[in-house]
Amino acid sequence: MSAAMNRALPLLAAPVAFFAAFFAVPMIVVVSSSLMAGGVPSLGNYARVLFDQYHWDVLAATFRIAGLTTVACALLGYPLAYYLVRVVKSRALRRTCVILLVLPLFTSNIVRSFGWMVLLGRNGLVNDALVGVGILDRPMRFLGTELGIVIGLVYILLPFIVLAVGNALAAVDPALEDASSDLGATPFDTFRTVTFPLCLPGLMSGIVMVFTLAVSAYVTPALLSGGKITVFPMLIFQQYSTVFDVNYGGALSMTLLVMTLVLVGLAGWIGNAGASATGRKAQ
Amino acid sequence: MTHTRAATRTVSRFAALTAVLAAGVSLYALPAAAQGEIRVAWYGGNWGEAFRTCVAEPFTKATGVRVVPEIGTSTATFAKLQQQKDAPTLDVAYMDGGISEMAQAAGVLEAIDPTGVPNLAKALPEAIYKADGSIFAVGSGYYSLGLTYNTKEIKTPPTSWNDLWKPEFADTVTIPSPANSSGVPFVMFLNRMWGNPPGDLSKTFEKLKTLKTALYFDSSGAASNAYQSGEAIIGAHFNVGAWDLADKGLPIGFAVPKEGVWATDARLHLVKNAPHKADAQRFIDTALTPEASACLAEKLYLGPAVQNVSVSPDVERKLPWGVGGSVKNLQLFNWADINRDRAAITDAWNRELARQ
Repeated sequence: MSAAMNRALPLLAAPVAFFAAFFAVPMIVVVSSSLMAGGVPSLGNYARVLFDQYHWDVLAATFRIAGLTTVACALLGYPLAYYLVRVVKSRALRRTCVILLVLPLFTSNIVRSFGWMVLLGRNGLVNDALVGVGILDRPMRFLGTELGIVIGLVYILLPFIVLAVGNALAAVDPALEDASSDLGATPFDTFRTVTFPLCLPGLMSGIVMVFTLAVSAYVTPALLSGGKITVFPMLIFQQYSTVFDVNYGGALSMTLLVMTLVLVGLAGWIGNAGASATGRKAQ
Repeated sequence: MTHTRAATRTVSRFAALTAVLAAGVSLYALPAAAQGEIRVAWYGGNWGEAFRTCVAEPFTKATGVRVVPEIGTSTATFAKLQQQKDAPTLDVAYMDGGISEMAQAAGVLEAIDPTGVPNLAKALPEAIYKADGSIFAVGSGYYSLGLTYNTKEIKTPPTSWNDLWKPEFADTVTIPSPANSSGVPFVMFLNRMWGNPPGDLSKTFEKLKTLKTALYFDSSGAASNAYQSGEAIIGAHFNVGAWDLADKGLPIGFAVPKEGVWATDARLHLVKNAPHKADAQRFIDTALTPEASACLAEKLYLGPAVQNVSVSPDVERKLPWGVGGSVKNLQLFNWADINRDRAAITDAWNRELARQ
């Protein structure tokens, strides 16, 4: 036991040092600066954040955009993952599809968001097409709307949910589904009672990933909002990079972090409760 | 046979490797021994390229001292200077007006001494920035935020900032947001232009609320993108960015309206306890030559901050003050005032304008 520990410790040292240097220390710096105001310890920054309806409005808009993004990613990503894992039979084709899915991740967010600015603009391709086909009479406003931000975020975050769900689906033993069919379940019943619950953990991890990335996204909302919608990360960025109030900025950061953790925790708790309820029903 | 061949191959490989290593070492060691180097912080993109061509290359040619650029925005450079306060590696830093004053207040700058930088005598009096009697920054060129418009959609050039409120331009206007360095001062500029009291911006925000914008831009790149795609057909933009678009053949015009333009400058700073102070001073001296200024005017349309700079007529009309203007036509605000009100104006902007 202790010999094993001795062998494990040096192995652990590197990741622990990395974690301390790049996560723990910056986090402590942010927390401690958020607890200072005018050079003395104070909770004033938090009072300024929390006792102001404006911040709650921005927080609501941030979570609304992140929530819509997550729902859209799940609705688009789940069938896509199912198609890639279950329908595509050729290995080469599947690999090509996965590469196509992951490829955009190699391009910077800024470039991809600029791309959407061009596509969604007043004279952009999307409006040209919608007007050309006759769906719209005159160009629709996407930039500067929550819809525009959601479109940009869904595009950027979709691969995360597809990969998470795809991995979970690939791990489901097809024998279980065969057994379900043998016992007389329809394909839909099999999906509902066997396949879906088994890959629920993968879906949940994808959802948590997409939601947290969407909540903390800065570049995409900043560019696609055209400065007309404010999300929380934009307030944080302003304080750190243009107003230079690191104490207030720190308090804003911690507020967003805690609120997000609370929401993710709640979602996890609901997910677990739901899963155990389904489990009991199945028994 | 095979053995010998392999051995020869190993030997020749080893020789080649040694040669490469030796070459590498000599390449590295030679300039370090024969000549020095200085580290200069400047901006990315065409700005950095222009500083390299107009200042760094002539400086290296004259002195043999290599210039190692550290590329970053003014804000990033200021952050670096604060981090390396105790053991600076940078010698000279380019930073914009506003950040320059903050760096001075943070105590990361060394006084620029006229005996070490004789060309300071050639600089415009407006371009020399003093605090407590000593020079902490010297201007390297002015740029302005003027009226920019699409010449295809707008045939007669606009003459006033108030033209932005014309109904025909509804939803096609862009102005800077406070995330841009010009955002806060632009609000103060409008406040002064409309004759509202300096301490009370409420009327200015009321008026700004009625402006039908396509977007508020947070970076110069976003503004260029908006004019390029036709998302915006009129609004504010920097003379540097607007003329860059026009030079690329886009139908973009830049006008200095009758109320004038807000302007600021890129400035040179000597870093406190710079490791190569003498060379750093010579670098600043090189930057203050009329040749370097003329070169920056040609490459970036930066308005020269030194006297007796001559440029071609085409470059002259693209300078921040427009045709026939000079630094006197620029509205240069006191950055101390802007920095003092920055938090309040940003906050008011968030609440009044940045929520649909």
